[in-house]
Amino acid sequence: MTKRTTHFGYQEVPVEEKAARVADVFHSVASRYDLMNDLMSLGIHRLWKRLTLERAGVRRGQSVLDIAGGTGDLTLKFSRLVGPSGRVVLADINASMLNVGRDKLLDHGVGGNVEYVQANAECLPFADNTFDCITIAFGLRNVTDKDAALASMARVLKPGGRLLVLEFSKPTHQLLSKAYDEYSFRLLPRMGELVANDADSYRYLAESIRMHPDQETLKGMMERAGLERVEYTNLTGGIVALHRGIKL
Amino acid sequence: MALTPVLLLACAEKTFNSLLARDPAAPGRLRRLAGKRLLLRLERPSLALLVTFHTQGLGLLHAPQAEEADADAVVEADCEALGSLLAGESLEHLMFSGRLSLRGQTHLLEATRELLMDLDLDWEAALAEWFGDVPAHSLAEGLRRFARFGLRSQHELRTDLAEYVFEEARLLPGQAQREVLRDHLTELEVATDRLEARLARLQRKLDARRREPMT
Repeated sequence: MTKRTTHFGYQEVPVEEKAARVADVFHSVASRYDLMNDLMSLGIHRLWKRLTLERAGVRRGQSVLDIAGGTGDLTLKFSRLVGPSGRVVLADINASMLNVGRDKLLDHGVGGNVEYVQANAECLPFADNTFDCITIAFGLRNVTDKDAALASMARVLKPGGRLLVLEFSKPTHQLLSKAYDEYSFRLLPRMGELVANDADSYRYLAESIRMHPDQETLKGMMERAGLERVEYTNLTGGIVALHRGIKL
Repeated sequence: MALTPVLLLACAEKTFNSLLARDPAAPGRLRRLAGKRLLLRLERPSLALLVTFHTQGLGLLHAPQAEEADADAVVEADCEALGSLLAGESLEHLMFSGRLSLRGQTHLLEATRELLMDLDLDWEAALAEWFGDVPAHSLAEGLRRFARFGLRSQHELRTDLAEYVFEEARLLPGQAQREVLRDHLTELEVATDRLEARLARLQRKLDARRREPMT
């Protein structure tokens, strides 16, 4: 009998191993995740997240689920937007990332309307039709079964709710694509080694980005998961794309 | 291109929050405003901005879909009116002249203006973070002396220049002379108006006599 496999960066690994391997990567980088994000993206990841926040259109009193919320950048802003009558759930499969995020949010004085849940995006532990808005920023590519994760997110969204997926994608210009490859496979692992003393994890990040579906494929996957009016915006020449779909 | 407005807003937010962090009075004001939100709708350029307040500063978010219920106060104005408001023009005057419309908690706009315009920045503390307390105090004292010298010099220069122009070289009339001249011109204007009215009356009389039949 042949084992079912999936990609882990450029490697093929048994399906049941991927989550543990991804978890190892994030355990390794959790403490320096924010610093590395700033270095790797030259701070632009903050603008990508700001745009996600704008497109989310979150209002007072709404409930928001921030999946793979990591160190809580989006949760912090969402908690201020929904106010004390609203609710934000920061979910991450990785306990280390969740701990870093919780500490950071507590340091910022955020507490009352934020909950922390260690959960796998493929089988979210929430009732159907629970959230007005769900975001997953730079997390979907690490999920083993992306279709199951998107279906799970669609399930817990309220009718009229929106799902926003912010993720690395395919650059739209040939020249930019080449420069980006050079950066990802040569410079990024070196930076990872210097700052986080972990070149392999950052090599995995670069490889996982290349293995992630492109803009149109992800749009199709979201539509198949039951979301409608799916649209996407290319950011920074398509290096990152913001997809948004609505559950009707 | 989608990121340019986002970048501008992020820079504005960062600047405001950095300045607020330097104002010793800001934490108290922010505590009173925390949790409130102000929706600013600019007409030219068309822009909807949601300003949220929290204890550490404020947040700026482009919110074209925001509804009035999402905010505690809604301000509609054009850039010029907003500039006038920030420059200190009375809110009532702007509202009654129809240049600015405000709905909801009206005091929120006044409180926001106070927060941003009455900033009293503690530059010495900022310098101390870089250079240490004693060098920062010496540097700040030097800068204060230099600023005082600059202000005094500017005042003296203005006085000396005025004295030369008005009193010594008599290139321009002084304030008192200008007022006397203005009074004389006003008198002349009134007298000319009177004369014009008399002439008009005489003209009417002459016209009436010409039209009367010869007896």
